[in-house]
Amino acid sequence: MDSIMEVVNLHKQFEIKTGLLTKAKINAVDGVSFNLVAGETLGVVGESGSGKSTLGRTILKLTNADSGKVIYKGEDLVPLTSKQMKRHRSQLQMIFQDPYASLNPRLKVGTSISEPMLANNPSLGRDEAKRSAIELLELVGLSPQMYNLYPHEFSGGQRQRISIARAIAPKPSIIVCDEAVSALDVSVQAQMLNLFNELKEKLSLTYIFIGHDLSVIKYISDRILVMYLGQVVELAPTDAIFGSKMHPYTQALVSAVPEPNATKRQSKRIILEGDIPSPGSVPKGCQFASRCFMKMKMCMEAAPNLTEVEEGHLVRCHHHARLKKAAQDVPNG
Amino acid sequence: MSNRTFLKALRKNGNALAGAAGVGIILCLGLFAPLIAPFPAGYTIEVLQPPSTSHFFGTDKLGLDVFAQIIWGARTSLQVSLIAVAVSGFIGIPLGLVSGYFNGKAGAAIDLAIEVFLTLPVLALMIVAAAALGASITAVAVLIGLFAWPSLARVCRNTTLKVSQTSYIEAAKCSGLPVASILFKHILANIIGPVIVNLTMAMAGAILSESGLSFLGLGDPATWSWGLILKKAWEAGAVLASPNPWWWWLFPSLFIMIYVVSFNLLGNGINDALNPKGQ
Ligand SMILES: Nc1ncnc2c1ncn2[C@@H]1O[C@H](COP(=O)(O)OP(=O)(O)OP(=O)(O)O)[C@@H](O)[C@H]1O
Ligand SMILES: [Mg+2]
Repeated sequence: MDSIMEVVNLHKQFEIKTGLLTKAKINAVDGVSFNLVAGETLGVVGESGSGKSTLGRTILKLTNADSGKVIYKGEDLVPLTSKQMKRHRSQLQMIFQDPYASLNPRLKVGTSISEPMLANNPSLGRDEAKRSAIELLELVGLSPQMYNLYPHEFSGGQRQRISIARAIAPKPSIIVCDEAVSALDVSVQAQMLNLFNELKEKLSLTYIFIGHDLSVIKYISDRILVMYLGQVVELAPTDAIFGSKMHPYTQALVSAVPEPNATKRQSKRIILEGDIPSPGSVPKGCQFASRCFMKMKMCMEAAPNLTEVEEGHLVRCHHHARLKKAAQDVPNG
Repeated sequence: MSNRTFLKALRKNGNALAGAAGVGIILCLGLFAPLIAPFPAGYTIEVLQPPSTSHFFGTDKLGLDVFAQIIWGARTSLQVSLIAVAVSGFIGIPLGLVSGYFNGKAGAAIDLAIEVFLTLPVLALMIVAAAALGASITAVAVLIGLFAWPSLARVCRNTTLKVSQTSYIEAAKCSGLPVASILFKHILANIIGPVIVNLTMAMAGAILSESGLSFLGLGDPATWSWGLILKKAWEAGAVLASPNPWWWWLFPSLFIMIYVVSFNLLGNGINDALNPKGQ
């Protein structure tokens, strides 16, 4: 398993106004570390506000991290200036959620696609860029005639295909897909997921695939990273997350996924109670304790560390030993 | 919104059409002034003639045709307001774009500068500066532009703040595009509506300033302008005299009004067409 990127203890805070004069700092990304394996799709899940988008945007340097490292090709991206970042820019791309906001309404879609190619490779002629853009349109399943149309003439699914073409235009190696299919109809979602897989094979891409729909994430991901309030609470291969899932939060998330076959459903849906700690008043113990169905006294007092409970399976929970045992007792649980 | 739906909405807007008609007429008068009437200069014996078929708007105390003065004044008005608006645009647009896009310390500093400039006693400063600079059309126009940019910069900043958050601007950053092309190609194209509205309204504002300065004798005495006609009428006592040569002061006043109202109507119409109700 070759690592293509290493994220180490990444932090990003935002200051928000809580009153007329009062401010609070929220830890949008709070000490996140993980290895990105070349050629994998790493799913990132978590509730709204858990910091998934901020993580993606910080990795790509669309916002600057407060501290931590993002090591790509042996170089830490965090301290790079935008000029120094130029040499990596084309390698790291992003696909956004809202197909209606992700294309410039004033640009022909052809321009949106050829522009990134020209920006990263000025020696490429306009004609050549146009030819490549048309090839890309075909690659994502659109017709060459669409080159000269404006975004408002397309459906949501078609727009998302255009966004994909634009993202792969500069020949990236890593693409962050931030809820890239969430806004689409379920029927269109399936086609898009297949397109993502197809392109990954053809272009040897690595994806960080952010989403909140676990059935989508399960389908597309090789490994899954579960975030809660800016922290990684579990990181494991997809099978492990859905098999011997361990963290109580992950259990709750997974239990909420509808099973296609009702009789196969083995665990009851876990409804989380209690409040999410308000930003700015982070509890001193485990961040999840206020909502956890397994909490004990120690959970309120000390924050658990991210611990490797099996090879390649990390959990942030005081009860990981107990959880592991429970998972082993019910092999298919 | 596409350009086509915008034009359709604009064409349906009665006020905008009236404004466009007014602007069109003044534009033609100004553009073709030399073909319509000779530049009024010197004097004739036909002094203070009321409007007639040979002098549509009558004549002044020197026997010069007021209609001809109005037409050449239109030319001046257009020149002054175009230069003023261009100066304002050259300063206000980049400052607004930069302060909205880099919404950190640099943005806040520019924003503060905008606020400070907006609170200045513009007319008083303009009078002082015009008196110091001396009277040429260009100097007056540039001066007006130098005081007109803050409102434009603010419009640009506020709209840029919004557009900068969109995914397509994030994508443009990912593309490695130079900042200049993100600002002037991607963002400007998406805020051009409000910018045009502001520039159109600024055409009206510029002519109010120019007329005021000319009336105070701070304009260019060698070129006809509507404010200058008013100044001459006022100095000759024409405004209060009886019998009253009303044509001498009424027509320039009317044209100032038409000019201001037309550009404001057009600006409002563009604004409405860009933001249809219910959106
Ligand atoms: N530019 C910003 N300024 C202030 N706070 C921000 C900013 N961007 C994000 N946040 C805050 O950071 C936290 C994480 O936000 P983020 O958008 O990364 O979450 P997310 O997991 O992507 O949520 P969603 O599923 O809703 O997209 C939230 O509390 C959010 O309010
Ligand atoms: Mg998000």
